[in-house]
Amino acid sequence: MTRWGMVIDLDKCVACQGCTAACRAENNVPFQGPEGTAQGRAMFWNEVIPVVEGEYPDVKARFFPRPCMHCERPPCVFVCPVGATYQDEDGVVRQNYSRCIGCRFCTVACPYGVRYFNWFKPNFPEPMVAYTNPDPEVPVRPKGIVEKCVFCIQRINKAKEKAAAEGRELKDGDIAPACVQTCTGRARYFGDLDNPDSTVSRLVKSTRAFRLLEELGTHPKVYYLMEG
Amino acid sequence: MNRRTFLKALGATGVTATVAGQFVINRSTGEAGAPHAAGVVRKGETWVPTVCYQCPGGCGILARVVEGKAVKLEGNPQHPINERRLCPKGQSALQILYNPDRLQHPLRRAGARGEGRWQEITWEEAMAEVISRLKTIRDQGEPHTVAIMHGRLRGEMEGLIHRFLEAYGSPNDISSASLGRQTAKVAHLLTQGIEDLMAYDLENANYLLSFGGSLLEAGGPPMRVVGAYGQIRRGRPNRAKIVTVDPRFSITAAKSDEWVPIVPGTDAALALGLANAIIQMGAYDKDFVANYTFGFEDWTDEGGQKHKGFKTLVLEEYPAKKVSEITGVPVANISRLAAEFATNKPALAINPDRGALHASLGGSYTGAAIHSLNALVGNLDRPGGVMVQRYPLCVPWPDTQMDETARKGLRQPRIDGAGSKRFPLANSIYQTVARNSWEGNPYPLRALLLYYTNPVFSSPQGQEFVAAFQKMDFIVDFSPFFSDSNQYADLILPDHTFFERYENDLPPAGTGYPVVGLRQPVVEPLYNTRHTGDVLLQVAQGLGGGVAGSFPWKNFVEILQFRLSKLGVSWEELRKTGVWAKPLYPFTSPTDSRWHSVVGTDRRYAPKDGRFDFYMRELKGLFEKKGITEADLAGMNISARGDLVYLPHYEAPHRTGDATEYPLLLNTYKLMTHAEGKGGNVPGLQEMLGLHVGVKWQTWAEINPQTAHKLGIKEGDMVWVESPQGRIKVRAKLYAGARPDMVNIPFEQGHAAGGRWAQSRGANPNTIIPSVTEALAGSAAFTSFGVKVYRA
Repeated sequence: MTRWGMVIDLDKCVACQGCTAACRAENNVPFQGPEGTAQGRAMFWNEVIPVVEGEYPDVKARFFPRPCMHCERPPCVFVCPVGATYQDEDGVVRQNYSRCIGCRFCTVACPYGVRYFNWFKPNFPEPMVAYTNPDPEVPVRPKGIVEKCVFCIQRINKAKEKAAAEGRELKDGDIAPACVQTCTGRARYFGDLDNPDSTVSRLVKSTRAFRLLEELGTHPKVYYLMEG
Repeated sequence: MNRRTFLKALGATGVTATVAGQFVINRSTGEAGAPHAAGVVRKGETWVPTVCYQCPGGCGILARVVEGKAVKLEGNPQHPINERRLCPKGQSALQILYNPDRLQHPLRRAGARGEGRWQEITWEEAMAEVISRLKTIRDQGEPHTVAIMHGRLRGEMEGLIHRFLEAYGSPNDISSASLGRQTAKVAHLLTQGIEDLMAYDLENANYLLSFGGSLLEAGGPPMRVVGAYGQIRRGRPNRAKIVTVDPRFSITAAKSDEWVPIVPGTDAALALGLANAIIQMGAYDKDFVANYTFGFEDWTDEGGQKHKGFKTLVLEEYPAKKVSEITGVPVANISRLAAEFATNKPALAINPDRGALHASLGGSYTGAAIHSLNALVGNLDRPGGVMVQRYPLCVPWPDTQMDETARKGLRQPRIDGAGSKRFPLANSIYQTVARNSWEGNPYPLRALLLYYTNPVFSSPQGQEFVAAFQKMDFIVDFSPFFSDSNQYADLILPDHTFFERYENDLPPAGTGYPVVGLRQPVVEPLYNTRHTGDVLLQVAQGLGGGVAGSFPWKNFVEILQFRLSKLGVSWEELRKTGVWAKPLYPFTSPTDSRWHSVVGTDRRYAPKDGRFDFYMRELKGLFEKKGITEADLAGMNISARGDLVYLPHYEAPHRTGDATEYPLLLNTYKLMTHAEGKGGNVPGLQEMLGLHVGVKWQTWAEINPQTAHKLGIKEGDMVWVESPQGRIKVRAKLYAGARPDMVNIPFEQGHAAGGRWAQSRGANPNTIIPSVTEALAGSAAFTSFGVKVYRA
């Protein structure tokens, strides 16, 4: 079996938001503009969450890049009344845009806030529409439905098909979601958690490894490595 | 047939093979029914290498082009600066190419200057006008009254513009270096004899002491520094310590092991305080200091006069207690940092492009003091140390043909005062052009050409330029967008964006070894725009005579091919890879004959004897040559006298604004998401602007929570930040990382023009910063300005 997972080394991350920008460009996530953003309606499949603590001069800040956790037990899937969100055979939590009815049960159920409702018509003013990704897995989503990080499923598919075309098995490192490929501190890793030889399998055994809100029993497949 | 067998049957060799596929944007059918196989290997998909232009870093890009449209950018894995990675500015750059607010044709002003009424004209009309105006000025014997101000000049554009002015007869080639970069270059020239930013072998260093300037966010080149950061943290067995000295808790400070919140403008005192402690401990590199430096010990010149050395200076003037009082850094921390720096070899003291070096009127001395720490521990040109950037060998330009008019024009003093007795080491002083031209000091400019620069926005007191523009006869701008400045132009001749033009790109100091990237069109030009290089060549031809004779090339690409012809890589190959590099840095040692290429090379007034100068002989020689005496120093805002003038020392910042009326200090800074004043109209960057405070699409001021409480300001309030120069309205963000005596405001917003997302948004702190110029490098100071803050 394949179980796609991600590891983010917070010790190498510099909070540059390259991942955020790369994700938006790869996955046709429109910007919402100043008004939409002020209403909290900006969409970031991969957002960097800042946590600033302490008082001057003893200040600490930590930054958590947050993609979808692709939980093994995803609350969003459990609550979806129409089966629009589902876990595929490789463990990726996906969204069937044509099934979604926009009820937003999932946006409430997700403890990580990774699911975004399209409050507005997608905004790619001419001629910006030219740069939208033509891959069919990431059509521009219409107003009224929910969208989220899908581990760049289009890249997973491409890598699989490339390997198939070359008549070989998929190798560790063949797949790089947009955020992983661009990561400026080389802090992100992607691979098969079921493959004991993969980089991610090795990294999740680190004593620095942890997952967000593990106590909720969601079993995220995104792991973090602590700083320091 | 399933997908696998289908592709096998096709014999596809990779993602660039062809299968028909038609897709409609804005489809809402969802992914379920979409034909995956057809989507993966798309018709006409190519990857075109080019070079980013969002900051001066020069990262390599691979652009994914599908059916003539650029749809995604990735880092070029072969480019040594970024090695497959791209920062958010690069990742958002297609919003520049496909920006709805691009200029699509040449424009001629139709109303009054600044009124914003334009008439579309043809390129032929535009060229005829430029040529005739420049010809008239030249024929009247005043070619020196034509200036070109430019921001980011890359590769051969630099030589082209310089050559154009030389052949035309104007000394006024004015770069924006005085707003950044220039001070560090001068500091390195005065000490190490190398007039450049330094490359640092970060990956092999064990201790980084970074002064101001937000190394990870705005250091040079950012992708190289950030990549090295990852390597330092987890890519090797030992984890180097990183210490960031900065008045503001930047993201760099957050990612460092230690943050030293220093009183702004006092970095020189801290550096010399550390030197004091290191010398007292006897922990400096005694062999290196004794044999390969000059002026460490007291010395006697040929005339028998005794001079004070660096050691005596720092021991007398910079004891820890005094330094602690100046800098606000506790005595215990000073001695601990000094011990750490001296014992964790190799240790690097890093000069920023801007930051600390633009924090006072002694910036060049600050840079010299910081860089002296590297020499003190002997960490020059060795692994983990300071490297000297090498550049690719280009075929030299042939001699410029200068006629009598050109020679006469070039003998005139520069409009900005660079190189004069007042600013002896400056190459260019951006911020003084407005006032000097307006006052006619030494003469008024008649014509101004603006290339990728926006002085009304970027210069402190940029509004002075508006007044100066009104007195000029002719202003031409080459930007692909409207800007605050080109609103006052007579002609706008829009350039291609960087996705539509050829240009070579030499990254600034970083790798140490030579790198040249090739920027090339990834798509056909979208609009009726032209490469400014080609436009200038055509103007030169139109001017005739020596100007035309100096440019035997038909277009800019010919210049590129000529200059790069001895690189050892063919033009076709370079187009294919997008980059050429010689990835091996030739470390030397002082006993090696090649040592002279890393110490003393650029000195003009001091011996090129391979010695690092603690006592800056270059400065002394220059002052003697220019006839600068003690009497001139007061006018240059240098308080030191005697030998101290030529030694790295601390010059107290000149605070503007009365301390009672304006009790807080204003600090400006750059963000990772900030593309040097050009990101305002990139909605993607606006929407993730201020990560650490969670502010987007607007300007904010970071205020310490306790200070805010005293002033009755709450989180999110709109406040006025007022200086004697004026006031701006911004949103208050209570930020524990702000010093209680400071207000931090980032650059980016406050454009009067520049597109729907940039315009009329937030505020520009440059409008309330006084225009103050440092004496040696001619750079603008950006800190130590008193302000008051109150609720709007």
